[in-house]
Amino acid sequence: MLAVKLAFKNLIGAGLRTWLTAAVLSFAFVVTVFYNGLLDGWNLQARNDTQAWEIGGGQFWHPQYDRFDPFSLQDAHAGLSLEVQRLVEQKKLAPLLITQATAYSGGRMINVLLKGIDADQRILRLPTSCFKTDSVEIPAFIGRRMAAAMGLKPGDALLVRWRDQHGVFDAREVTIVQIFTANVPSIDNGQIWLALDRLQDMTGLHNQATLLVAATDHQTPIELSGWIFRPPSFLLKEFEEIIRSKKVGSSIIYGLLLAIALLAIFDTQVLSIFRRRREIGTYMAMGMTRSQVIGLFTLEGGAHSILALLLALVYGFPLLRWLALHGIGLPEVADAVGMTMGEKLIPVYSAGMVLFAVALVVVSTTLVSYLPARRIAGLKPTEALRGKVQ
Amino acid sequence: MIHFLLKGVLHDRHRSLLPLIVITLGVALTVLGHAWVNGVLGESFVMSAHFSTGHLKAMTRAYAEEQDQMPIDLALIGVKEIMDELAGIGEVDWAPRIRFGGLIDFPDESGSTRSQGPATGFAVDLLTPGSKEIDRFNLTSSILSGHIPTREEEALITYDFAEKFHIQPGDRFTFFGSTMEGSMAFGNFIVAGTVRFGAEALDHGAILIDLTAGQRMLGMPDAAGEILGFFNNNRYDQKEAQAIADSFNARRSGSTDEFAPLMVTMRDQEGMAQLFDYTHIISAILITAFVLAMSVVLWNTGLIGGLRRYGEFGVRLALGEEKSHIYRTLIYEALLIGLIGSVIGTVVGLALALYLQVVGLDMGDAMRASTMMMPSVIRTQVTATDFWIGFIPGLFSMTLGNALSGLGIYKRSTAHLFKELEA
Amino acid sequence: MSKIGLSMLALLIVPPLSAQNANEILARVDQNLSATNRVMESEMTIHGRRSSRTLTAKSYAEGTKKSFTEYLSPVAEKGTKMLKLEGRLWIYSPATDRIIQISGHLLRQSVMGSDLSYEDLMDDRKLSEIYRAELMGEEQIGERVAWVLELTAVVADAAYPKQKLWIDRERFVPLKQELYAKSGKQLKNVLFQDVKKIEGRWFPCAYVYKDLLKQGKGTEVKINRIAFDQPIPDYLFTKAALKQ
Repeated sequence: MLAVKLAFKNLIGAGLRTWLTAAVLSFAFVVTVFYNGLLDGWNLQARNDTQAWEIGGGQFWHPQYDRFDPFSLQDAHAGLSLEVQRLVEQKKLAPLLITQATAYSGGRMINVLLKGIDADQRILRLPTSCFKTDSVEIPAFIGRRMAAAMGLKPGDALLVRWRDQHGVFDAREVTIVQIFTANVPSIDNGQIWLALDRLQDMTGLHNQATLLVAATDHQTPIELSGWIFRPPSFLLKEFEEIIRSKKVGSSIIYGLLLAIALLAIFDTQVLSIFRRRREIGTYMAMGMTRSQVIGLFTLEGGAHSILALLLALVYGFPLLRWLALHGIGLPEVADAVGMTMGEKLIPVYSAGMVLFAVALVVVSTTLVSYLPARRIAGLKPTEALRGKVQ
Repeated sequence: MIHFLLKGVLHDRHRSLLPLIVITLGVALTVLGHAWVNGVLGESFVMSAHFSTGHLKAMTRAYAEEQDQMPIDLALIGVKEIMDELAGIGEVDWAPRIRFGGLIDFPDESGSTRSQGPATGFAVDLLTPGSKEIDRFNLTSSILSGHIPTREEEALITYDFAEKFHIQPGDRFTFFGSTMEGSMAFGNFIVAGTVRFGAEALDHGAILIDLTAGQRMLGMPDAAGEILGFFNNNRYDQKEAQAIADSFNARRSGSTDEFAPLMVTMRDQEGMAQLFDYTHIISAILITAFVLAMSVVLWNTGLIGGLRRYGEFGVRLALGEEKSHIYRTLIYEALLIGLIGSVIGTVVGLALALYLQVVGLDMGDAMRASTMMMPSVIRTQVTATDFWIGFIPGLFSMTLGNALSGLGIYKRSTAHLFKELEA
Repeated sequence: MSKIGLSMLALLIVPPLSAQNANEILARVDQNLSATNRVMESEMTIHGRRSSRTLTAKSYAEGTKKSFTEYLSPVAEKGTKMLKLEGRLWIYSPATDRIIQISGHLLRQSVMGSDLSYEDLMDDRKLSEIYRAELMGEEQIGERVAWVLELTAVVADAAYPKQKLWIDRERFVPLKQELYAKSGKQLKNVLFQDVKKIEGRWFPCAYVYKDLLKQGKGTEVKINRIAFDQPIPDYLFTKAALKQ
């Protein structure tokens, strides 16, 4: 205990130098926590958004369905069994029917997917209640990106051509009644959302669906015969890997920051040992073993990390908290890369991540303090007392 | 005077060695950090540039409108002429490419259709010796089996695609699609190898063939969907890119032909601008953090450097040297040490950064399992800023630290300082 | 009674045009257009956004279920063959020496960039098998007087559930055709021209096919030579013939 007190006393006694070092260290710590928090927050937010808008608690796919192969849609649909219908009524499943179509607007022709979803569904945040209008014949909603790409606004009509289950051509005008804004590009680009029963009528696929979205708190059995369950982890795999690779890449950044701070501690330690040879000699003369003295100096250096953490608590805590409350604005950046990203990123600081950062700072600081202190082992007490260093 | 100080700095190891090491290290870390931030943040751009946007891209005006539909019927004609025109412009490597869609048909033993699947195709220059396209597609490390095509009739197909259709290197397939004119396009290929780019949508079904083979198959002699331009130093320079694009487009400003070539910069494409700006801000924040942290550390080093020499100052005062003179020499020395340290540090940092730019840092296992369209090797990006950024902490902070601790000379008595000598 | 009066009377006593009559007209049209077999040489001009090109082909058809087409020009297309057998389609390319089956979604693609899809070529049923006709009246098409028929599909898988057909009153050949989607939206338009009498039957030897939702000038088809009821060797309608 004496050693700890002594270490802090010595450290505080050094004044500005100590605080500068501690400041850099705390800075490295705060940046580490912030950056990881940011990525975790992004991950969580993207996960939440994707679940809220697209995948719910997972999806049951028709065995033929392949999300990257629009041609698979021709055969990827099946009737809803009574069991499924019961779950749909209990709002535990939301069936989705997907079909390929061509949309014509302003002289342009683009391939689109028509997605049918129940107007009464509660599982996804999509504005499905807007289908309940009598003012237009085929109400549809689209995402912001699609609207921008096609130059459409609410009230606009566009011609859509598709083929029913027998291959019969059909073409009609659908009216955009609403444009939704979601952070999930995969429900937006090249897609037109219609009421499920309407799309079933249009395609002749009555009571059929391509996939079923499960409620987030779904209590449904994972086994639904004829459907393959795809959990969120499957559907979000690629995104989670983006985050992971970002973490790896950015770890070098705060690694370097930490290295800079550790350099300061190393420097301080070397100076301390140089300037305090007599003190070291005295400790030894008083009966402290070399390793005790090394311990004392290591502790003193390592205590920087404690000061740094305290400092971080003083300015970093309110700062990080503020950022977590207010988020970081990201004006429409995500559209460019087609990634799920909110307009605001809200950092999330998990206990595990913070503890890891704390451990990282404390351990590395202590290690760096120990390295120069090892030189003490080579000191002869008599010479140290006289202020000599070998 | 400088000569004298330099001698002191060089001969008195106590005075200079440790601060010099610290400054060198610190400056090197700053430079490296800066290049790293640029590299990591630029990574997503590198992938976008290599796979789709280029640093510059020329295509017809009509093609530009419908790019995502891969409309080869709207491709550029007269590529050779355009390439000749481009050859003289800037330090840019120009690469014609064709992106196309079609059907891959795998035959059974009798040559009849065994299975088929839709595919996205890339026709890029794989065969010309020294072609940089192989690196741009990161083929050397993304290849999972077989080899990079060495003949026109060889093709790479994505791993997932190969798995789905039970295809191995050496197997044959036929491409069926449309030519530029709209006729049926056919091409027989041998699978040279399988690759995984890391983007699910692409890995699902893509083939990569040589440009010449693609041109022949798609009825596009002397035509290409797009011509991508890449700065030779592999670094996107907005001003330069804009200038090249502007002058290229100015030569055709009078034309109303929808098939006249149009050049766009990377920033102009697919909402890249916002991403650029965002990255710029993040990078500025990180760089400031670096420089700030390093400045504080080197300030500290300066302080320590001054403190270390209190004893010496005592002796010098005792010998009758003016306090202000001692202080001045302290500052000069600090400047000198800072300068030497910054120069060495910058050189070391640049060398490391350049090494990591060329060789890259293999994040290996951490990235291997990843299916991202990102190479497992992360590279730094050296910019002009790297040449001076280290001097801020190295020179100014160090000197500031020394100046602050040197104030002690005025505060303490000669005797007190002299005593520190004994300490 | 004068001649004029007689014809006036004739007009008066002509029974109102009935549905049955309309279906009879359709059957007559089918009779004119289809044959046990036929051999023809045709050219197809496709207007692209950039350029136009013309393909020539020789085709053999037996009934409505079997057909074999070989492209003769241009050079790029020469030797390309198509075989349609019982609802299946194969394409042979001499350059790759491969036979590729066109199935599923591929059938819905455009043939050689034209306004026709493979499926348009595939639907080989007679009009009277797919549609029930109703006579809507008469109209002048150019110099010809035509009946206007409205066709409604009686099968579930007709690509176009509704058609409007203008039939030459005297020759029982179509002069104009409009193809409609289920919703009633018009999708395509075909104009028949150059009606000639060949081997005792009237046959339109040129037509213009236009996809109304697509930009462009449409696709023109011209039949240069046509012969009916020719001996066609059976082996022609086999996959082996594709490679020869």
